[in-house]
Amino acid sequence: MRAATLVFRNLSRRKGRSILSSIGLILAIVLIVSVFTISRSMEVQIGDEVEKYGPNIVVTPKTESISVPYGSVVIGNVTIPESSVAKISTIPNKQNLRVVSPKLYGQAQYGNSSLLIVGMLPEKEIQLKKWWNITGSLPQNESSEVIIGSVVKSRLGLTAGSMIQIKNSTQNIVGILSETGSVDDYSIFMPLHVAQTILDLVDKVSIIDVGAICNNCPVEVISQQIMDAVPNVKATPIRQAVETRMKAVEQTASFSLLLASIILVVGCAGVMNTMLSSVHERIREIGVFMSLGADNNHLYKMFFLESMILGLASGVIGTVMGLISSMVFGPVFLEVPINLADIPIYPIPLAISLSVSASLIASLYPAWRASKIDPVKALKTV
Amino acid sequence: MIMVNEVTKAYEMGGNQVLALNNLTLRIDDGDFLAITGPSGSGKSTLLYTVGGLLTPTKGDVTVDDMSIYKLTSRERAKFRRENVGFIFQSFELLPYLTAFENVMIPLYLAGVSSIEQETAAQEALEKVGLASRAYHKPTELSGGEQQRVSIARGIVSNPTILLADEPTGNLDQKTGNEIMQLLCRLHAKDELTVIVVTHDAAIAERANRRVEMIDGRLVQERAI
Repeated sequence: MRAATLVFRNLSRRKGRSILSSIGLILAIVLIVSVFTISRSMEVQIGDEVEKYGPNIVVTPKTESISVPYGSVVIGNVTIPESSVAKISTIPNKQNLRVVSPKLYGQAQYGNSSLLIVGMLPEKEIQLKKWWNITGSLPQNESSEVIIGSVVKSRLGLTAGSMIQIKNSTQNIVGILSETGSVDDYSIFMPLHVAQTILDLVDKVSIIDVGAICNNCPVEVISQQIMDAVPNVKATPIRQAVETRMKAVEQTASFSLLLASIILVVGCAGVMNTMLSSVHERIREIGVFMSLGADNNHLYKMFFLESMILGLASGVIGTVMGLISSMVFGPVFLEVPINLADIPIYPIPLAISLSVSASLIASLYPAWRASKIDPVKALKTV
Repeated sequence: MIMVNEVTKAYEMGGNQVLALNNLTLRIDDGDFLAITGPSGSGKSTLLYTVGGLLTPTKGDVTVDDMSIYKLTSRERAKFRRENVGFIFQSFELLPYLTAFENVMIPLYLAGVSSIEQETAAQEALEKVGLASRAYHKPTELSGGEQQRVSIARGIVSNPTILLADEPTGNLDQKTGNEIMQLLCRLHAKDELTVIVVTHDAAIAERANRRVEMIDGRLVQERAI
């Protein structure tokens, strides 16, 4: 006979009651685990989206004149020296820079059409614009190869393999960019140095796109560092939308955790209530134990062990259900795909410990009440 | 030797004080088989539980081998019960979710005895009461007489010196009651136990070697049989 045998037998005798008393605790743990799992997955998703958005910071010349729009950022006709690219890579937070992609914009006539020419470093640009879908290949650096946007392709009737005459230079179209819904659809992309030659702007760039590598990079700080390192440029952070969304996720998580705390308290009250009624129901049994030589320590041990087992079972069930429900409901209701590999392991033991601790706390008063029972009165209880 | 020295136990009932034990003095020698008789409410069970260390008297003292048991802390008194006293109840008071064997092991578990020693002692105790073959049955699968035998086995498993039985035949028919009393007599004779039986059945009391009668918390008659 061991304490555990006594407790397990007693719990299994009162399965329904044990399950009922654990429901509140299980619910709280389910909520806590799913909130953590879903908010963590949302952070990962937002982080991924940040990368898909492209640059976090756009570096433009400090100018008031308006000529070329590029997405939401307006590009002036004043350029930046290409040497600025190297200077950006020297900022204190250089470890946070994922990619630095300089670009030169210009216009050129092709027949009756005016084309937007974008000079770029292909391997850098493709790192920034992960959504690009190219039929064909990227231009080789320093080569006379170009890719064209979908609108250029359809308007001018060009295909991959066609040659195109821009100013005095003949370029080979090696790839067609699928529709992006952006200004890229109207552009011809070519290697930066080729564009500089064609546009007669050697060693000049129009803008420098900068992508940061982490979710919580200090974007404003990096922008300021760029402006400090490179004279006469404006570095504009474009992460506000992401940050707003991150904040919304954090607020939702905080609210859900508050809700979970309330449920946890209610769950504790449920466990306490059940254990109190268990003390009442087992009053004769407690009297028998006392007559057979049980002291307060024996009774405390029995009640604490019982509550520990309930807490442990509730914690494990709640954690498993929390993970399952977040995997089921996360994608359906919140459109957040849950990948368990992205979720750190520490919340699992933490949630189980929380459940055990809450259950133990809830059993303190019932155990104390049990220890105060008068054994003779208990034995005479009908 | 058990000495009950001028013990009074008072209860408050509806604003009035009721004396369950009224300045009662009683000496019980080692190896006595004492029957306490009397009508309902005369204080028989109160005296039994007071001797067993379960009921602190309002006044007076109980000593066992010159040790005043109510001067012990509650923890020490629980230890005293574990080591010296076995209880048998009218309603058997077996735990329904444990087998007979496991029920018998409870006092040993409380005493911190190892599982193997618990099993050996429980087996021996069940053999003494003639119930070894029913060891793995739950109380609900046993007859009243068998349940009381398990209760007796539980009472003697720790080799106590005092066995206290509160109406041990009260829930049994006459034949089974007689068998239980025979068993108690045999254990008393064989193990030299001090046995105190509370009963209101004169025939049962006749089996003891000493009998006291109580009315209103006092001893009114004592005789050796």
